[in-house]
Amino acid sequence: MTIFLASFGFGLVTASVLAIAAIGFTLQFGVTDVLNLAYGAVMIAGAFLAYVINSLGVSVWIGLAVAVAACSAGSVLLNAGVYAPFQRRGTSPITMVIVSLGMTLIIEFGVQAIAGGTSVSYKMTQGPSVRAGGLVLSTVQLVVIGLSVLVMLGTHVLLRYTRLGKAMRATAANKSLARNCGIRTGRVITATWAITGALCGLAGVVFAMDAGSFDATATDLFLVLILAAVFLGGPGQAYGAMLGAVVIGLATEISAAYITPDYKYVIAFVALLVMLGVRPTGLLGARA
Amino acid sequence: MKFTTPVTGLVLIVAAALVGCSSNSSSTSAASGGAATGSSAASGAPITVADVAPFSGPDAALGPTYLASCYGATAAINSAGGVLGHELTCKSVDTRGDPADAVPAVNQMFASTPNLGLVIGCTSDEAASVAPVINAHKMAMFCMTGQSEFDSVHFPYFYRLVPPDLEESYAMVAIAQQLHYNKIALAFGNDIGSQTFIQPAIAALKKAGMTLTTNQTLDLKATTFRTEAEAIIQSHPDAIMTEALGAADPTLFQEISQLNGGKMIPIIATSAAISPAFFKSSAAAVGATTFTSNFHADNLVVETSGPAYQAFSKALLGEQGKVPGVTGDFTTYLSAPGGVHLYDGINLAALAMLMSKSTSPSVYSPDIIKIGNGVSGATVCYSFAACAASLKAGNAIRYEGPGGPTNFDSFHDSTGIFQVDTYSDNGQVNVVGNLSADQLRALSG
Amino acid sequence: MNSYYIINLLIYAAVDAMACLGLNQQFGVAGVTNFGFIIFQAAGGYAAAILALPDQSANGGFQSYIGGWNLPFPVPLIGAAVVGGLLALPFTFLVGRRLRGDFAAVGMLVTAVLLNLLATNYRPALNGDAGLSLIPAPGGQQFSVQSSGYQWAFTAGALAACALVYLFVRRITESPYGRSLRAMRDNDLVADSLGKNLLSLRTAMLVTGGAIAGLSGGILVSYISTWSPAAWGYAETVVLFAAVIIGGAGNHLGAILGALLVPVGFEEVTRYIPTSNNLPPNLIPSLEWVAIGLLIVVFLWVRPQGILPERKRVIKTAGQTPSGPAGADVLVIPPPARAAPASPVPSAAAVPSAAPERPPGPEIVLEAIDVTREFGGVRAVAGVSFGVRRGTMTGLIGPNGAGKSTLLAMLAGTLPVSSGHIRYQGQDVTGLAAYRRARLGLVRTFQLASEFKRLTVLENLLSAVPDNRGDSFRGALAGRRYWRADEAAAIARAQVLLDRFGLEGNANSYAGDLSGGQRRLVEIMRALMAQPRVLLLDEPMAGVHPNLARRIGNELVALCAEGLTVLMVEHELAIMDEFCDPVVAMAEGVVLAEGSMAELRSRTEVVEAYLVG
Repeated sequence: MTIFLASFGFGLVTASVLAIAAIGFTLQFGVTDVLNLAYGAVMIAGAFLAYVINSLGVSVWIGLAVAVAACSAGSVLLNAGVYAPFQRRGTSPITMVIVSLGMTLIIEFGVQAIAGGTSVSYKMTQGPSVRAGGLVLSTVQLVVIGLSVLVMLGTHVLLRYTRLGKAMRATAANKSLARNCGIRTGRVITATWAITGALCGLAGVVFAMDAGSFDATATDLFLVLILAAVFLGGPGQAYGAMLGAVVIGLATEISAAYITPDYKYVIAFVALLVMLGVRPTGLLGARA
Repeated sequence: MKFTTPVTGLVLIVAAALVGCSSNSSSTSAASGGAATGSSAASGAPITVADVAPFSGPDAALGPTYLASCYGATAAINSAGGVLGHELTCKSVDTRGDPADAVPAVNQMFASTPNLGLVIGCTSDEAASVAPVINAHKMAMFCMTGQSEFDSVHFPYFYRLVPPDLEESYAMVAIAQQLHYNKIALAFGNDIGSQTFIQPAIAALKKAGMTLTTNQTLDLKATTFRTEAEAIIQSHPDAIMTEALGAADPTLFQEISQLNGGKMIPIIATSAAISPAFFKSSAAAVGATTFTSNFHADNLVVETSGPAYQAFSKALLGEQGKVPGVTGDFTTYLSAPGGVHLYDGINLAALAMLMSKSTSPSVYSPDIIKIGNGVSGATVCYSFAACAASLKAGNAIRYEGPGGPTNFDSFHDSTGIFQVDTYSDNGQVNVVGNLSADQLRALSG
Repeated sequence: MNSYYIINLLIYAAVDAMACLGLNQQFGVAGVTNFGFIIFQAAGGYAAAILALPDQSANGGFQSYIGGWNLPFPVPLIGAAVVGGLLALPFTFLVGRRLRGDFAAVGMLVTAVLLNLLATNYRPALNGDAGLSLIPAPGGQQFSVQSSGYQWAFTAGALAACALVYLFVRRITESPYGRSLRAMRDNDLVADSLGKNLLSLRTAMLVTGGAIAGLSGGILVSYISTWSPAAWGYAETVVLFAAVIIGGAGNHLGAILGALLVPVGFEEVTRYIPTSNNLPPNLIPSLEWVAIGLLIVVFLWVRPQGILPERKRVIKTAGQTPSGPAGADVLVIPPPARAAPASPVPSAAAVPSAAPERPPGPEIVLEAIDVTREFGGVRAVAGVSFGVRRGTMTGLIGPNGAGKSTLLAMLAGTLPVSSGHIRYQGQDVTGLAAYRRARLGLVRTFQLASEFKRLTVLENLLSAVPDNRGDSFRGALAGRRYWRADEAAAIARAQVLLDRFGLEGNANSYAGDLSGGQRRLVEIMRALMAQPRVLLLDEPMAGVHPNLARRIGNELVALCAEGLTVLMVEHELAIMDEFCDPVVAMAEGVVLAEGSMAELRSRTEVVEAYLVG
């Protein structure tokens, strides 16, 4: 039982990092219809920015704030400078994916060119551990879980109760109709990328904290987990992303405890492929 | 048919361009099968020692490490008069750590290096694919791979001064024996270099009557190993035998420590752990004191004093600041794994060239064995300069470098002797014990 | 030995070119975006390895792998191609019509990562991360593998294989089948509605590309004698995509050029950059990847067609037939019935050869029975029942949101019904896929521009022809001689149509370059080429000049006289007045009334719902 509880705890941490990342990714897709595969690269860029600040002697939490701001701005630029012009031209979705792959290479290996190929870690303490039954979580891990809960609540409040949130939902449902109803879709899109870019930066730093050591290619595999969570819940659905993150996060860690850790990501990949084949709109999406 | 012209034309143009590019400095190589570059190299022209290793990708640290040895060895040789009127020079050939990329890199090396005399490096990342190619070119190579196929496959131009991986597994178990550990957990990375330790280790543990508590494979692309750490802790081992390069081991140590209530489980690592980068990440992960008080590693015996070491140290440190791509504290290269052995390999080859009065491997390579193993009545010498002088005086010589005495077997593999290393809190490497060949023999299957 | 380097480069060029040709066939020609492409090359490599390797206990038994049957040349290479092709079959679920292109692509990418992970971690299968080594070269027992003669022979073999692959893909692409592939690429929904079985086409492309990739992997492995997961990460797929995009997607010579420039040229050039003291060792390879990313994005922006763009297929037409005298509206259109082949010679007095059945009176040929369609709680169509009689030109009118287009789509099969039935020629076709209905003669057009943009006007028309012998994989392979006659007949039919509608001068222009009204005509002509019995037109006159609209209407009326049935959704009431009888009026998902326009104008509910005057 202890191993179950322990892996349940690990699963919560993974799920938390995943949730922050997946919500951002899925909203980007929902509102702008772009599968931004460069999301992982922007995450690691944020992580490295925080590392640079941290290595100057500043607390990593300040680095986190800087990374959040920078990734927010960077994501807005990414969309405005690259994705939107392609979309205005009527580029097909598949070509957009190829463009996003190109941007992934540029960003990820740009970071590697500057930062080098070796792995680094933040100068921070994990804090005292909290034990409960078989669960063992460090303070930092608890903070990460807390941040994730905050993000989920915040997303819920944003989408349900604010004007911007409603405008985002409308734009996601039907952009031209939303525009005809007087919604300034251009601004909504910019705001969406700013918010999701911030989430991306936050996810990147939190991911790096959780990983301990990381290098420029550390998010390659993580992106697949994000995709699994997003497609499980339904692409474009924020609540779906939350659900998907919890399921994937818990499933990978618990399966690692009971089957073998070698294949813990396999379960995520298989889930993704099954969803694509059987129900591409996801568990929470409407039936096509 | 219409298509033939543009396609073949393009291919021929590209081919012609490359022939043009690469033949501007070639000597008169007849286009016949398998002839090596450089029958006798043009008098005075430097002879190249090529470092064929990863300079990019996950194992990018290896290439520069070997290059440092090359610079050290060749500098010492050149200042002792060179070889047969030629100086030696070093060249790096980046294999990118991938067999499919390594083959063209090596072929390009042969095409663009007119006076190639020796190849060093060839790690497990690429040895399997490049050794046949290099051998076919009749070029001598000193390789760093411990892969088992080279224990029993015969490539006449292949030489290895580092022990096969299974010997290192036995060494790790022998260390566990010495420290009176009984229950051992295994935690090895899933890459080529680390996986080869597992089966021999399991067999040796069985032979030694020790218990294997769990065998965890760490996916090097993953960023956390909490489940694996928990599984290890739950199996209650006395010690963990591990090699998982990159960020994996430090992450594992941190997670074990955290999940185990702040207590670290003793570690027995391989020689790959004897590197400044590894110490730095591990110390950062669990704290220097915790790390050093729970750490042992096997390492190939590297002398730290004596005439061989003095010569090596002087030669290597003299090259500080001159080796491209090396970063960090240069003195760490004195104890870097493999560095010493490749220095020895270069010396052996250079002395063989002197002895056979030829720079062509097909002529000089049998003398490598003679100088390494020594014929009866040979005088032992400890550096190139001393050995060259001894040769000139008409003696039969046996070279013994900082890597210790060599004993080439019929497959040109020389097994090493092992020592037990620990770290001090400031990262300094200490030798705390030795392992004899008999101890290892007792564990082998 | 200089020549060994040349040999190396030539073999790599051949292997990369083959891979790019396979990828281009999938992606550039057929629009199947397979981001997992590298796994097919990897599978071929492994297959060749385990077929050629001796039993795993040989060589000291340090490798563990399945297989190990020590088979001689050419079995391992054939096996490589077969395995590559077979591996494609499980992935067909990702490329059926239901899944968005970008989702399917992501699925393939994830699969590539997954398989690399499995191969790395499951050692007993393929020796894990260490991979397989000491793989015997073909003919390694008989010949000295490292001899110059053998190496050159190997190179010649690799280049020959590449040439054969080039001929193969060229034959597939330059055929009616290839035209269908390109049509599917340009607009798969429309291709489906014209009778193309998308799943079958995409499966064929996955298998073909997979087999080619597998063969390239087999040849590579036979040369370098080792193979491991490090050699086939998903990054390798990106490099191949970059090569095809830069070289020119859709052009097979472009694919070869891309292979020479990117995987060979670009990667080799960086080997010549000298390492310098100050640069960190990782810098050049990292910048290499940045450069590839930049190349992809820049090329897609500035020159998405690549260096060697897809060629326009100009079809020489056998002389121009003069357009009919003004006002002449006796039109010889080939009979809609399947059995009779088209008469290529237009003649004002000719009567089309007899259709197999001449119904005595107009029976109901297409029927909707209580059909509904729901979108997330909104009922776009709420229980519609009506019938369309043979030989009539029936109109369907209604205000925006009445459900007309939705109904049309359900009749055609491009949208499934939520409930209800569709009957066509007496058969229940409710569950029948759109392409099958098209092959039975139930053809539709679309409201929005749906021409195949990168096909010429003539090719657009030809793509709809249902009975071309060359429009199958086997037919394409059989070569031009096999399908020449059918093609000539189709061209002649198309020629007649072009002349009638006045577009003969644009026959060899890209359909995407025409004006809106002209594109509308192309679509109608194309639908006619499909030899429909029932034609469903979705606002065919939108954006068309009234004179031209009238002309189209007249042509359609003439066709109806010969047995064609038309159901037309239209907003232009003048068109309805002039050509359509009966007319069905819909509003808010239900049928309000049915009858002639005059009758409808007298019905108050119709007037209220829609008619403004």
